[in-house]
Amino acid sequence: MKILIVDDDRINSTILHRLLSREGHQVFSAEDGLAGVEMFDSERPELVLMDIRMPRMNGYEAAREIKRISSDRFVPIIFLTAVTDEEGLVQCIESGGDDFLTKPFNRTLLQAKIEAMERIRRLHTELHSQKEELERHQERVQQELDISQHLFSNIVRAGNLFDAPCLRHISRPMSQFNGDLLVASYNPAGGLHIMLGDFTGHGLSAAVGAMPLSELFYGMTAQGYSIGDIADEMNAKLLSIMPTRMFCAACLLEVDMRQQSLMVWNGGLPDILLVDGQGRMQQRIASYHLPLGIRPFNPDDRKVSIFELRPDTRIFLYSDGLTEATRHDNLMYGSERLERHFDGNRQPEHLFDDIISDLDSFRAGAQQSDDITLLEINCARANEEPVSDSLAHARKKFIPPTNWSLSFFFSPQLLQTVDPLPAIINSVMNLQAPAGHRERIYTTLAELFSNALDHGLLGLDTKTKQTPEGFMRYYSQREERLAALEHGFIRLELTHIPQYDEKQQKTGGEMHIRVEDGGPGFDHQHVHSTLDGNMGHGGRGIALVRSLCTKLAYNEAGNCADVVYRWTI
Amino acid sequence: MSGTISIARTDQETTISIKGRFNFEMHSQFRAAYQEETVDKSRSRRFIIDLTGTEYIDSSALGMLLLLREEAGTNDADIEIANARPEIRKILETANFQRLFKIT
Repeated sequence: MKILIVDDDRINSTILHRLLSREGHQVFSAEDGLAGVEMFDSERPELVLMDIRMPRMNGYEAAREIKRISSDRFVPIIFLTAVTDEEGLVQCIESGGDDFLTKPFNRTLLQAKIEAMERIRRLHTELHSQKEELERHQERVQQELDISQHLFSNIVRAGNLFDAPCLRHISRPMSQFNGDLLVASYNPAGGLHIMLGDFTGHGLSAAVGAMPLSELFYGMTAQGYSIGDIADEMNAKLLSIMPTRMFCAACLLEVDMRQQSLMVWNGGLPDILLVDGQGRMQQRIASYHLPLGIRPFNPDDRKVSIFELRPDTRIFLYSDGLTEATRHDNLMYGSERLERHFDGNRQPEHLFDDIISDLDSFRAGAQQSDDITLLEINCARANEEPVSDSLAHARKKFIPPTNWSLSFFFSPQLLQTVDPLPAIINSVMNLQAPAGHRERIYTTLAELFSNALDHGLLGLDTKTKQTPEGFMRYYSQREERLAALEHGFIRLELTHIPQYDEKQQKTGGEMHIRVEDGGPGFDHQHVHSTLDGNMGHGGRGIALVRSLCTKLAYNEAGNCADVVYRWTI
Repeated sequence: MSGTISIARTDQETTISIKGRFNFEMHSQFRAAYQEETVDKSRSRRFIIDLTGTEYIDSSALGMLLLLREEAGTNDADIEIANARPEIRKILETANFQRLFKIT
């Protein structure tokens, strides 16, 4: 062991030197505090024996200096003292001394103290290297977390529409990874899909489940699947990847301002709140389903509820992290305090900010114990275009217009089981993907198809939808009649013909679409034929198709529609 | 800060009472409370989760109940969640757990 003796008393110093050398230690001597500090720096001893009263620099000062320059390691300092008064000893400890030895020296005591110090020093060294190892490890983990977070946000936010003017949201994750998933995207018919999911637990393990869900959400929404279909797929996905004790409380919404309808699938999230133009609570939509990822879906689990929206409705949606946020005395914010905002005495446009500032003043800086998410959908702005356009179309490769045709035939049994529209639109878009026309083609097909089904086969009357009660009745009638449907069919024929200019260059194409149903036909002449005359509930289908297409004609019986949709390169 | 668990057993029934906060920190305690009895799948056993003294429940606790349900035989499991105070009952009902458990 390397030992430094700092003592101006040559006799003392020499005795100690000899004694310690004989024990096998490597010994250095300095004649005062200043020389001691210098030698400490150059020889790096592992133990210091320090006299107190010395010229130039005394022992207290030297000890302080040595402790300062060796702060990264533990070097014990034993004071050699004739002092026996308490104050002197206290000063030894205060200046950084670890022990003292009273003169004249007792050899056995000196050896014992050196050994004890050596043990402490070894413990310190071990602790220090473990600490360094931990720090290195932590740094590595942090780097990996940073990379994962980057990937995570790219996957989850891809194509996210949170710059849509109708949406306002706040997400406050409790840790680096958010266990609340919030995604939004438009479907091909222009309806807005929104999902809020809240996974069991927080942090990384919760966030991992969010990735496949966001992919399913964006992919299926773009293909025109309904929120019930999407919930079903997500449930199956989570069942296959998540352990039993993890699940995802989730809510999926479809806001369709054209139909003025809100579709909701709520499994385990707090009540969704509909607020009217005066800022009053108009309706609450409670969770009706089990959360996702608990057990396989049965047909009832896909069930979506439909609500009527007014142009000035605001929809509020939140995760339980909001109402369960606690302040220092563990009191929770609670849904009552939240819902007090919807008493009709506040400006509706300030509700969102008011809630957030109320929450913040309630919590008063208390530590967050769960991820917090709040979202507001302002229906008045639901039709405004988002600032940044989705990149989905730009990536599609261009297919020159060619000749092709498709024909579909759907039996009642099929119509009861699946919505065939996404499959149709995907076939069309894979054969011929006119950039920017997907939504229009989808809307055209969707309107013709729902006319054929709702009016042609199920005999529903659009007029029913004119009142809020009728609106609900329309959809429940539709469900009942579809389940009971035994006869009839829908046939869809689609022929694409390329168009040329006078120099025989391809300029685009024409899609000739025929949708025929096996029903008795309906009075298409009187089913709301102008766009302007039908700003009410639904029923704008045919007028809309007429505005998108170059030609729309029904046969005499009213059960076969012919449409021409034209597109240019 | 987490709660405490006490267990009472009869020939057919196991009652697990949770006092205080029922959250993720209770995972191993809760699991240990029922694990012995779910090993023998041939014997059906009734579980009562008594929430009389439970002040708070989080989603990890709901996950633990799902795990118990699975280990006790999923749809054949006979599990009753009893005496939940109104706030906790609301959480259980928001998750629609009444379709998986008997809530009394």
